Amino acid sequence: MNLFRSEEHIVRWLDGRSPGTTISALALCDLAHAWWGDRLSPSWRPHTRDQNQSILDSLGLTGTFWQLP
Amino acid sequence: MDDLDIALRNTTYGLFVEFGKAPTVDETARRAGMASAHVALGWQRLHDAHALVLYPGTDELRMANPFAARSTPYRVHASGRSSYANCAWDAFGICAALQSDGRIETACADCGDEITVHVEGRKPVGEIDVLFHCLVPASQWWDDIVFS
Repeated sequence: MNLFRSEEHIVRWLDGRSPGTTISALALCDLAHAWWGDRLSPSWRPHTRDQNQSILDSLGLTGTFWQLP
Repeated sequence: MDDLDIALRNTTYGLFVEFGKAPTVDETARRAGMASAHVALGWQRLHDAHALVLYPGTDELRMANPFAARSTPYRVHASGRSSYANCAWDAFGICAALQSDGRIETACADCGDEITVHVEGRKPVGEIDVLFHCLVPASQWWDDIVFS
């Protein structure tokens, strides 16, 4: 789960491995706030699998790659 | 995860932020008013529930996601403190967890070129043309969370 300068850098870093998926810094920031925003809340409760999947879905992170177990 | 383990988890996270580093079992036991052995057992249950991550075979914290216990390539300055994140996602996550603007200092994983991204008002500014690549599918993240 790394940052890269460009798609070209990702391809070079993969070095023949199958790629995962790539999103923008803007999308990543939105994901991080939705996913981690409550972690220091005194009322924190564990997220269920469905809650986490809803976060991904709501941000358009859909498809097989983003399906939680 | 029962209420006692959630309370232990919240105390652990609070100390992580307060100390600016991972608390030990003994430090957490003192704050929680628990025996160290009970904290160690609780941390193992929280590890098994993916609520934090321990180094294998130890009672030493490795991750209180999004915070990393040791230095990583992801340094985050937010809310008047510096922290290390486990990955790029967690780096933004530290700003989110602290509900703070921040500055993320890292490098392109390919070429090593320095990258600095600021978070202001929950949005990235600065070098926002960088890309985030996630190699491992979501279904496999916890098969090896350190690699993921």
